[in-house]
Amino acid sequence: MDKRFVVTPNLCTGCRTCELACAFSHSVNGKPGLSRIYPLSAGTDEAWVPVVCLQCENAACVKACLVDAIARNPETGALELDYDRCVRCMACVAACPFGCSLPDDQHSLVVKCDLCGGEPVCAMFCPTKALAHQEICSSDRKSA
Amino acid sequence: MVNLTVNGKLVQADEGEMLLSVIRRLKIDIPSTCHHDAVEPYGACRLCTVEITKTEWNGWKNYVTACLYPAEEGLIISTHAPEVIELRKTLLDLYLARSPGAALIREMAAEYGITATSFQKVPDGDNCILCALCTRVCDAMGFHAISSVNRGHGKEIAPPLKEPPPDCVGCLSCAQVCPTDFIQYKDKGKTRTIWGKKFKLLTCKDTGRPTITVEFAEHLSRQRNIPADYFEHDHESHRRQLALTLGKLAEWDRKE
Repeated sequence: MDKRFVVTPNLCTGCRTCELACAFSHSVNGKPGLSRIYPLSAGTDEAWVPVVCLQCENAACVKACLVDAIARNPETGALELDYDRCVRCMACVAACPFGCSLPDDQHSLVVKCDLCGGEPVCAMFCPTKALAHQEICSSDRKSA
Repeated sequence: MVNLTVNGKLVQADEGEMLLSVIRRLKIDIPSTCHHDAVEPYGACRLCTVEITKTEWNGWKNYVTACLYPAEEGLIISTHAPEVIELRKTLLDLYLARSPGAALIREMAAEYGITATSFQKVPDGDNCILCALCTRVCDAMGFHAISSVNRGHGKEIAPPLKEPPPDCVGCLSCAQVCPTDFIQYKDKGKTRTIWGKKFKLLTCKDTGRPTITVEFAEHLSRQRNIPADYFEHDHESHRRQLALTLGKLAEWDRKE
């Protein structure tokens, strides 16, 4: 079984439920944290795209990190940030060409999508299934 | 794997793993001000001192810094023995004499019941506790811009010759990791000042918001092969651009 986090922009209505789910599931000291996912307008009023970390194969954030604080979790496939190693130099924030390494100024941290340890909470709450955590059949994987 | 006892609890650890990492894994709270996972353990602040013994040591005990002591078979560790508490209290008392202005020192001292130092205050004391975390992180980042200078009473952290450091790129890592927030910097408009050196900040072509320094971006491009145009925009405009691109792809998908 191989599950993937699948984003289908055409199904997104821009309701921002994912943003809430993300903020609450990444709470800091009991308070909602900074969301890692943002539904943004794709140019027109009706078209929305949930923008979230793409967990790149050859990621700029990993290359930019001079203390090797970002590494792939082999179980979930997510690029996770080790907060005990991070020195908050903001190199990954500046380097990510998709802007998905975010500065959390309130807690002076960097945050990025960690796929919630394997079960993305945003996908659970997405009412239109624009975000889904689904099994990928092997033929799909080959073509991808 | 080796077997050890921490506060009466039997635990396993990798051989050679430092005691501090074992103690942290057990969620036991001991102060470890100068420790950071990005750098090698250093044992500067001495606050993570714990008591160790073994059954075959016949009652002999030793006090070691947990960050620097590797786990070994049969070690019996106590993180809050009365002697350890007394030791930590003395250390915090001394730190309070040197750095009474440091919020972290005051908080930790208060936790151990010390509100004012019983020693004579250091006349020219500052908030730097000389843990050298800043210089070690700077070295780990590969810049080596600052280091400790002088010895004993006159020891301090400074750039070479106390002049604006030529190797500093203004990444602010030193200031970010400083446990007592002693290292000051100033971001004003498009300029950043740290260690007496002025840096020009890159700004986003769309929003005009400052990102990182020109020197840091150049270093990342040169050393880590990150295309220079990645640094032309801030994270918000990058995200907006991604939304537009994906939106276009989705539109083609709809038409098909």
